[in-house]
Amino acid sequence: MSINWSKLTGRITGWVLPIFLMMIWEIASENGWLFSKILPSPREIVQAAIDLSISGELAKNIVASSERAGWGLLIGGSIGFFLGLVNGLSRTADRFLDTTVQMIRNVPHLALIPLVIIWFGIGEEGKVFLVTLGVFFPIYANTYHGIKTADPQLLEMGRVYGLNHWQLFSQIIFPGALPSILVGLRYSLGLMWLTLIVAETIATTSGIGQMAMNAREFMQTDVVVLAILIYALLGKLADMGVHFLEVRLLQWHSGFRQ
Amino acid sequence: MKAFTTHFKNSSMTTTADFTNTSSITLKLEQVSKQFGNLTVLENLNLVIEPGTFVAIVGKSGCGKSTLLRLISGLDQPDQGTVFYDGKIHRKLNGHARVMFQEARLLPWLNVVDNVQLGLGKTGKGKALEALNHVGLESRAKDWPSVLSGGQRQRVALARALVHEPRLLLLDEPMGALDALTRIEMQQLVERIWLETGFTAILVTHDISEAVMLADRVILLDGGKIDLDVKVDLPRPRQRDNPNLIKLQEDILRRVLTIPA
Repeated sequence: MSINWSKLTGRITGWVLPIFLMMIWEIASENGWLFSKILPSPREIVQAAIDLSISGELAKNIVASSERAGWGLLIGGSIGFFLGLVNGLSRTADRFLDTTVQMIRNVPHLALIPLVIIWFGIGEEGKVFLVTLGVFFPIYANTYHGIKTADPQLLEMGRVYGLNHWQLFSQIIFPGALPSILVGLRYSLGLMWLTLIVAETIATTSGIGQMAMNAREFMQTDVVVLAILIYALLGKLADMGVHFLEVRLLQWHSGFRQ
Repeated sequence: MKAFTTHFKNSSMTTTADFTNTSSITLKLEQVSKQFGNLTVLENLNLVIEPGTFVAIVGKSGCGKSTLLRLISGLDQPDQGTVFYDGKIHRKLNGHARVMFQEARLLPWLNVVDNVQLGLGKTGKGKALEALNHVGLESRAKDWPSVLSGGQRQRVALARALVHEPRLLLLDEPMGALDALTRIEMQQLVERIWLETGFTAILVTHDISEAVMLADRVILLDGGKIDLDVKVDLPRPRQRDNPNLIKLQEDILRRVLTIPA
């Protein structure tokens, strides 16, 4: 028998508590201890998921939300990454731009919602804009930090070994900054969903947040809870994506080696 | 100290003559000075190093030996005076000199062979493996530097320097952080490779036994000036218990210690 019991139990352990809580929840709902308009039973939520899947509404809303999240991350992440690089590498750019970046960062981006609605209406652009603002800073700050903390000893070695500017960047500065950049990405993903949840509950015609707001109007708590669970699931998926990147890109780092 | 200088004045470099090749560098420093703020680290230093020789620079901490090495490499520039490579003024870092530092300074995100290949481009794989073979680490080519021991990392760093076929190898206490046994192995390896290859080697060290074991010539720096310049005219491979070697070592050590701090 070559079953690795310790590994197996290690994997299962994390799920014991959630499943136990779900069972209590289900039992409480079945016996009427929980009023289903306050908190629906797990069975009802699964039923809601099945109904919405069949009607195609669930898929449509998930796609709409993911698209906004994806565009926002792409645009905000690129700007943050690029500015982080430029300011990290060039002192002049840093002096010129950093004050502006810090001022923008200190405005809570969700406070811009009224203005965003005036500017963009309730279309896609406003939400993408908010997500862009939300994800921008963590990626900027961590890219900047990663570049700034490049090991001077390694840089000196690179110069002695005849590396040109591009090689110094691609072989020494960037790989050294990568762990930090991925931390920034992780933070950004958290802010990405947070921003989207708020943006979609305020003004929109599709998306998970809109689905939840609609459901609230009709007291469909099962759909509301379903929407929350989907956010949790999408957040977990995004985090797994970064973890996958870390394991692939940071194999050299003893902290990430499998 | 006069005994040394007269004794060595007439000696030819018997041990290195066979290996002196056209590719090693004649190094000349003329009236070189370096200040950091008000502190004069090197003062009007004159030094000629013949091609293919192995020179050790010793001295107390802060005597300017590492600064001297940095000026020779081109990592720093002298405030006054000039460094010549083969009679030509040397200002910038160039492909002729390679430096080994006290730390191996391997890139943690590249495996061993890619580290050795650094700066060579895609075509350098064969050469890199050959250099690794030279230092006895070809079996670790695919490993990450972080899983190697300190001595192995320095051997990789040595391979990385050798792969460029340097005409001048500058060693900035590369064995300083190794344990005693690993240090002896590393010294033997450096000596063997130097004998095979014939580059000009300059070793900065605070270990006087290491200096007399390896070098043709030991230079003692003090207060930014050359306090002592002796040739070590002992046959290779040298034995650690050779009485001449021990005597020389003791003499230099006494000289270092009598210098007022």
